[in-house]
Amino acid sequence: MTIPQNTASARFNGTLRLVRFNLRRDRIKFPAWVLGISFMVVYFTSALPVLFGGEEELAESAGGFLTGPVVALFGGPGYGFDELTYPRFFVGIYGLYILVMAATMNILMISRHTRAEEQTGRAELVRANVVGRMAQLSSALLVTVAANVAVSTLIGLVLISKGYQAADSLLFGAGVGAVGFAFAGVAAVTVQLTEFSRSASGLAGVVLGSAYAIRTAGDAIGEHGSTLSWFSPLAWSQQTRTFVDGRWWPLLLSLAFASVTIGVGYALAARRDFGAGLLPARSGSPVAASWLGSPLALAFRLQRGTILGWGLFLVAWGYGNGAIVEPVADGLQGMSPEVLAIFGGDAGSIIDGYLARMGFYNAAVISVFIVLGGHFIRSEEYGGRTEPILATATSRSAWLGSNLLVVAIGSAVLLAVTGLAMGLGSAVAMGESDLVWSVTASHLAFIPGLFVILGIAGVLYGMVPGAVGVTWVVVAYVFVMGFFAPLWDLPQWVLNLSPLEHVPGIPLEDLVLTPLVLLTLTSVVLAMGALVSFRQRDLVAN
Amino acid sequence: MSDAIRIRGLEKRYGDVLALGGLDLSVSRGEVHGFLGPNGAGKTTTLRILLGLLKADAGTIELLGGDPWTDAVELHRRLAYVPGDVELWPKLTGGEAIDILGRLRGNIDKAKRDELCDRFDFDPTKKGRTYSKGNRQKVALIAALAADVDLLLLDEPTAGLDPLMESVFQECIREATAAGRTVLLSSHILAQVEVLADRISIIRSGRIVETGTLEDMRHLTRTTFTVDTDRPGDVLAGLPGVHDLRPVGEQFRFEVDGAQVGAAVTGLAELGVRSLVAQPPTLEQLLLRHYGDEAPVREES
Repeated sequence: MTIPQNTASARFNGTLRLVRFNLRRDRIKFPAWVLGISFMVVYFTSALPVLFGGEEELAESAGGFLTGPVVALFGGPGYGFDELTYPRFFVGIYGLYILVMAATMNILMISRHTRAEEQTGRAELVRANVVGRMAQLSSALLVTVAANVAVSTLIGLVLISKGYQAADSLLFGAGVGAVGFAFAGVAAVTVQLTEFSRSASGLAGVVLGSAYAIRTAGDAIGEHGSTLSWFSPLAWSQQTRTFVDGRWWPLLLSLAFASVTIGVGYALAARRDFGAGLLPARSGSPVAASWLGSPLALAFRLQRGTILGWGLFLVAWGYGNGAIVEPVADGLQGMSPEVLAIFGGDAGSIIDGYLARMGFYNAAVISVFIVLGGHFIRSEEYGGRTEPILATATSRSAWLGSNLLVVAIGSAVLLAVTGLAMGLGSAVAMGESDLVWSVTASHLAFIPGLFVILGIAGVLYGMVPGAVGVTWVVVAYVFVMGFFAPLWDLPQWVLNLSPLEHVPGIPLEDLVLTPLVLLTLTSVVLAMGALVSFRQRDLVAN
Repeated sequence: MSDAIRIRGLEKRYGDVLALGGLDLSVSRGEVHGFLGPNGAGKTTTLRILLGLLKADAGTIELLGGDPWTDAVELHRRLAYVPGDVELWPKLTGGEAIDILGRLRGNIDKAKRDELCDRFDFDPTKKGRTYSKGNRQKVALIAALAADVDLLLLDEPTAGLDPLMESVFQECIREATAAGRTVLLSSHILAQVEVLADRISIIRSGRIVETGTLEDMRHLTRTTFTVDTDRPGDVLAGLPGVHDLRPVGEQFRFEVDGAQVGAAVTGLAELGVRSLVAQPPTLEQLLLRHYGDEAPVREES
C-alpha cells in the first residue's frame, strides 16, 4: 500500500466534517449570536421613533449636539447628519455598536474552535484522526463565514422590514458581515501566536480597540473622516455612506484585509508545532513578592488585573461623557418631557440633571463589576483553589472576608476614578472647576448602595455558591428602575426595592445622609450574614 | 501518647448517598499510615472532614487533640495537606503558589523549599496554567514537605508523578518520619502504600474493613506464581496454602497464601525451576476475595 503524498487537499482533509461538528457544538451559541445581533438592530430601529417622535424632531434635537467630536466618539464619520433621518441616525450612531458586536462574535468563534481546542487537548484527539493540518482553522473560518452571511442577510431584511431603502439596507448588512470577516482574519493570526485561547482573543480584542481608537481620532480630525480613519477596518464599513449615497467598494478593502490576514494565519499555522505558540510563554518570578502573604493580599493579587482593566475603561468613558456635557444638555433640552423626566424633568437645570443621571448609570455599570466579583469568588471554590487555602491556617471568614473586601474596595475605587474623570471632563468643557468635586461626590454617594448589592451576592454565595448568579436579577432591576421608572409613574415601594434608588442624585439633589447610613448598615448586616452562612456549609469539591 | 487521628463512627451523606457509614480510624503519632481503598470508597471525603472542609453528620473526630471543624485554623498550623487534584491560579507562577501556601500556614522553611524544588526537578517560574498534572502536584508536595508540621495529610500524592519522582517522594516521606512527623497517605494502589506504611487501613464503601500492619494482613493476601519446571508441577496442588493451580501453556500458575510463600518456594525448588514470576497481591484481588464484588458507594469528587 502506498501512502498518499502530502498534497494540498490532504492538508484540508476532514474540513467539512469538522464544520458540521462545530455547528453541532455551537447549536446554541451560533443562533444566539446571530439572532442577538439582529435583535439589537430591531431594538435600536424601533426605539428611535419612540424616543424622538418624528424625523423632524430628531433633526431638530439630535442634530444640534451631534457634531464633530461627539459623533466621532460615539458613532462614526457622520454622513448625512446635516439632514438627519432615522436610517442615517441608526447607521451613524448605533451602527458602530453592531459592527463591534460582529467583530467580537468572529474573534470568539475563531478562538473557540482553534486555540481553545488545542489548549484543552481535545484537538489532539481530532488531529490523530484522518484530519488534515489545516482542517481545524479552515472549518472555524467556514463557520464564521456562515455566521457573517446569516447576520448580514438578517440585518438587511430587518432594515427593509422597517421601511428603510432596500439597497442600502443590504449594504449596511453586508458592511457588518465584512467587519466580522476582517476580524475573523485577525483572530486567525492571533490564535497562532499564543498558546492560550484567552490571550489570543485578548490580542484580537486589542486590535479591535485600536481600530476603534484610530477611527475615532480619524473621524474627529476631518468631516466624514480623514485619511487616518481609513487605517481602521471599522471605518471601511462606515465609509459606504449608507442611506446617503451608498457605495459598495470600501467593502472590497475588508475582503482584501480578511484574505491577507487569513493567508498569514495559514502561513504561521504551517510553521508551528501542534499546541505551541509563536510567542514564547512568559515565565515569572520563582518566589512570591514579600507582601503576598495574607488572604487579603492574595485576593487583591488575583483581582488586580480585572480592577485595572475596568478602571482604564471607566476613566476614558467618564472623561468622554463629561467632555460632551454641553452639547448633550443642549440636545436634551429640546427632547420630549418623557426623556427630560429621566434627567430630572427640569430643562433649566438639565446639566445638573445629566451629571446626576450619569452618576447613577456609572454606578449601575459598576454593579456589574460587583456581580462578576461574586462569580470570581465562586469560581475559586469550584475550581478547587479555595481548598488548599482553607487547609492552611486561614479561616473561612478570613478568606471570604478578604475576597469580599477586595471587591468592595475595588468598586469604591472604580466609582471614585469614574467620577473624577467625568468631573474633570465636564469641568474642562464648562470651564467650572467646582464640577470636579460635585461630580466625584455624586459618584461616591453610590458606594453604600453598591455595597448592599455586594452583600446580597455574598449572602447568596455563603448559603449556596451556585446562587451567586441570582444577583443579576438585582442588577437588572436596578437598570430597569433607573431607565424606566421616571416614565412609568411607579409606586414608591417598587422603586425602593432598588438599592441605588435611595441615593440622592448629586448635583441635582442635595446630599442626604440618612439613606446612605441605612444602606451602609444594611450592607454590614449582609456581609456578616455572608461570613456566618459560609462557615456553616460544606466546601464544594471540584 | 495519644493518637494523632482518632475517628469513631464517622458518617457523611451527600443527599441520598451515604459516603461514609460509621468509619473508625486511628493513626498513631509518628507512623506512616496507609489509607487504602478503591476509587470512590470515601478516602477523599474522610480527609476533607479531617480538614474541616466538610462537616461530619455523625461520629467523633479527634485530630491532634482538637476538633477539625471548630479548631480548624489552629490545627492547620500543625498540618499540611496535598489534595488529589491540585489546581493552581492560572496567572501566578508555581513558585508564587508554593510561597503563598507556605506563608498562609506560617511556617515554611525557605531553604527546604528551594532544596525540594531541586530534588523534584521543579521549575517554579512557569505560570500555573502551563503546568501538567504532575507538576501541579509537585507544587502542593513542595509546599507541604517544606512546612514544619506534625502531620501530613496526603491524598493520592503521587498519582501524576513518574517513577523517578515517586522515589524522591518516598525519600522525603522517610525524612519526614525521621523528623517525627505523622503521615496519613491515601492511595488505591497497594504496592505504593506497602513501601512506606507502618500500618494500613483498608476502606471500602465508606467503612474500614481491615486495619493493621502489613504483616498482620499477610493472611489476607495471596502472591501469584507463574512457573516453568523440569518436572510436572501437578504435585504443587498438595502443598499447604496453594490455591487454584492451573496450567498455562507449558507453565503452571497458582496462588499462595501470604503466610505460606516460604513453604511453596521450598516445594518448587525440588521440581527444578526453569523460570519463575511472582506477582505481589493487588488491592483489587484482596477486596474481591474477602469482601465480595458489590459495587462500592459512589463518592463525589
